[in-house]
Amino acid sequence: MKKLLYIEMDNCIGCRSCLAACTQCGGHDERNRNYVYDVNPLVNRQTIPLMCLHCVNPACARSCPAQAIQITPEGAVLSAMVEKCIGCQNCTIACPYGIPKFDEEQNFMYKCDLCYDRTKEGIPPMCASVCPTNTLQWITEDELEMKQEQHRLGKWMSSHQPFDPLEGETNVKISLPGILQGKQKLF
Amino acid sequence: MLKDKFYKEIPNVIHPKEKLVATHCSYCGMQCGMNLRVDTTKNTIIGVEPRYDWPVTLGKMCPKGVTAYQQTNHDDRLLRPLIRDDASTKGTKEGFREATWDEAYELITRKFKELQTEYGKDSLSVYSGVSMTNEKCYLTGKFARVALQTRYIDYNGRFCMSSAAAGFLRSFGVDRGSTLPWTDIHETDCLFIAGSNTAECHPTSMFRVWEVQSRGGYLIVVDPRETPLARRADIHLDLKPGTDLALANCMVNLLIQNGYADEKFTLAHTNGFEETKELVSQFTPEYTSEITGVAPEKLIRAAEIYGKAPNAIVMFARGIEQQTRGSDNVSAYTNMCLVTGKIGRPKSGVATLTGQGNGQGGREHGQKADALPGYRKITNPKHVQEVCSVWGIEPEEMPLPGVSAYEMFELMHNKTIRALYLLCSNPAVSAPNLNDVKAALKNLDFMVCSDMYLSESAEFADVVLPSVTWSEDEGTVTNLEGRIIKINKAQEPIGESKPDWLIAVELAERMGRGKYFSHLTTAAKVAEEFRLASKGGYADYYGATWDKIEKQNGVFWPCKDENDPGTPYMFLNQQYYHADGKAKICALPYRPPAEEPCEQYPLRLTTGRVVYHYLSGNQTRRISFLHDMCPEPYVEVHPDTAKQYDIVHDELVRLYTRRGEAHFKVKVTEAIRKDTVFVPYHFGHELAVNLLTIPALDPMSRMPEFKACAAELEKTVISKEAVR
Repeated sequence: MKKLLYIEMDNCIGCRSCLAACTQCGGHDERNRNYVYDVNPLVNRQTIPLMCLHCVNPACARSCPAQAIQITPEGAVLSAMVEKCIGCQNCTIACPYGIPKFDEEQNFMYKCDLCYDRTKEGIPPMCASVCPTNTLQWITEDELEMKQEQHRLGKWMSSHQPFDPLEGETNVKISLPGILQGKQKLF
Repeated sequence: MLKDKFYKEIPNVIHPKEKLVATHCSYCGMQCGMNLRVDTTKNTIIGVEPRYDWPVTLGKMCPKGVTAYQQTNHDDRLLRPLIRDDASTKGTKEGFREATWDEAYELITRKFKELQTEYGKDSLSVYSGVSMTNEKCYLTGKFARVALQTRYIDYNGRFCMSSAAAGFLRSFGVDRGSTLPWTDIHETDCLFIAGSNTAECHPTSMFRVWEVQSRGGYLIVVDPRETPLARRADIHLDLKPGTDLALANCMVNLLIQNGYADEKFTLAHTNGFEETKELVSQFTPEYTSEITGVAPEKLIRAAEIYGKAPNAIVMFARGIEQQTRGSDNVSAYTNMCLVTGKIGRPKSGVATLTGQGNGQGGREHGQKADALPGYRKITNPKHVQEVCSVWGIEPEEMPLPGVSAYEMFELMHNKTIRALYLLCSNPAVSAPNLNDVKAALKNLDFMVCSDMYLSESAEFADVVLPSVTWSEDEGTVTNLEGRIIKINKAQEPIGESKPDWLIAVELAERMGRGKYFSHLTTAAKVAEEFRLASKGGYADYYGATWDKIEKQNGVFWPCKDENDPGTPYMFLNQQYYHADGKAKICALPYRPPAEEPCEQYPLRLTTGRVVYHYLSGNQTRRISFLHDMCPEPYVEVHPDTAKQYDIVHDELVRLYTRRGEAHFKVKVTEAIRKDTVFVPYHFGHELAVNLLTIPALDPMSRMPEFKACAAELEKTVISKEAVR
């Protein structure tokens, strides 16, 4: 069954294990490709991860004049192909989430490839494998449906859209903060 | 072991010309499962791969765990013994030259023998640690008593788990850190977590903690700071550091007052209920609020939730334990379980979050000043007899009990102790009141330090011996559940480094005590003798063979023989380990911390940890990812307090107490009490907050009060460059 990366923002504790683990994926040249942000550092310890969401129609690839950014059949948006990338950095500007990183020395872009070596075999990406809090989860579409049913985030949003908080369709799914809102307590 | 709801069958990725070695992390008591990636062409550790099938952590790792493999072949590793010829350079990195093992051993044995001839056997001391296998911990105790024949041995667990141990021994008559397996945590209905920064110190517990809330259960957190755990708590009891005993007494009072006490249970299975009921009755929410600074309504609500919960687990860590009333705090929070009967069954109980990797096993087998293998007592003639029969010595030869870790430094000052054999520990960062501790180390006639790297403590040594990392040796470790697990060797030791068990054997031989040690030629042989030595003690490991550990995914002690599968749940039969089989509900009067804020020192200083570093930082500060994430300590200050002192975020300030001072950058955050400042302790030299901490000791556990002392801070005109 198809599996996907799901991000449950509320769970993040800011340990940045996902960053450390990113370097451990075979094809990553020991460089991490993801981000964790302090939401309000002078106030509290809330943090959120920012991973590539692997857009169905990715702005990075659309903006690339060299067609260097490939999309796999599973929907993983890959790093720029080294031999094609001209180092123009259009993608780093185009991405609404600021995901692509740029190697100044070698003049090419690199980004999260959803640990394609692993995920094409159904093995979770390194970030979701190690995440100690289940902020990052590698789940089936059925499990996603259950999550969406439980959290019913749409009812807290003015748009009343049932789930998707993002503008475009993405292969990685996220929850907005607030997964415990309206939670029925056990007693 | 049953597989829980988080368990998934996931294959591992194995790259060409690599193999995976299944083992556990080198760091905290979680002992997360991991696979080390080994390059089979060079037989070298090159990375990590999740161990999805380890039932406790399911492949999850914190950033320390992910990068732990980088310790093994690190450029800073010591590859050969070092000798310092000129004692005037002590306390610095300077003055060492490389030497052969033979020369180092010769010098050590000559000095040890000279000192013992002139000043007696007890002029030597051993100071060890518990970030090493049970086999090493066991042998270190035997090494001190049989090879060096000294009474003075203690260990860094004194600064870590000693209060939990003393408190549990008083409450239950036995000290196993958790009464239930970790795989129960997410199934309980209420977690009451006091003094534990779980998200940073035991991060891989967090998916189970959050699951309690996802199921509709409750999370109650007691902490002066709004840690990443407290941020999501249903109730955050933000108490003043050092006032836990009042808060715990208030909880017990409210539980009894509001009818949540299980009197049938307390009558049948406990002593001390009436006496405790009487004592805690004065701890009304209002009175307790005055002491702790926590709003009365929050105290009432917390007790109500814990009382109503069908199942609940009380958990705590160093926050409540590193106080002069640390053992009392442990017993007082444990009272909550005993008064309500929420113990001795699945999904309910009490647990301490063990700090060091082998903080549990390492405190059971004879590294403590007064303990022998199997958690026996050196003051009990029967226990001494039992251990002597394994060691092959006469009971009269068994040394007397020694003194606790911090008290050993006091004896170095007055020259009662003249030489130190230090291993697996870095007290020049981790001990309190460092100015005094460093002076004590300098005052030694002779010091040996065994370490993987040149630690801050090694800077005081005359001889430094290169030991191996966890990945270059094998043995067992007992994790925070009380589960004995197997550490596997993934690589041969680099350079001339040796495992500490081998160093102990070789030194013992040169001290003329070879007949008690020479048969221990492998870690497995040490394990055999160690299991035998623990047999019949209440921490009985006799049935926990390496085979069984591998087959069962660990063995919970006690495990008495070959057919015993071990004991995942304690007290299921409601039999406690006191002579009458009952647990003790303890009546414990409140006392404030040893040093209260005053006009001169109006702030409360509390110390703790960050997710990127482990203990004294001797290992993690060398890992580039972890260093980049947290390169230096800081002082957390509430914005109102910052305003009062006219200081801003990132400004350098001078923080000082009656014992010392240090300069830290300010981290302004609302996630701390206004009357409290916090500094993480993982840093050495002039950045060590332990220059400031107080060496006031818990009378039972001899634990120093790292968590509360009086401090003051001031703006500083010193530039950053001048300080660093």
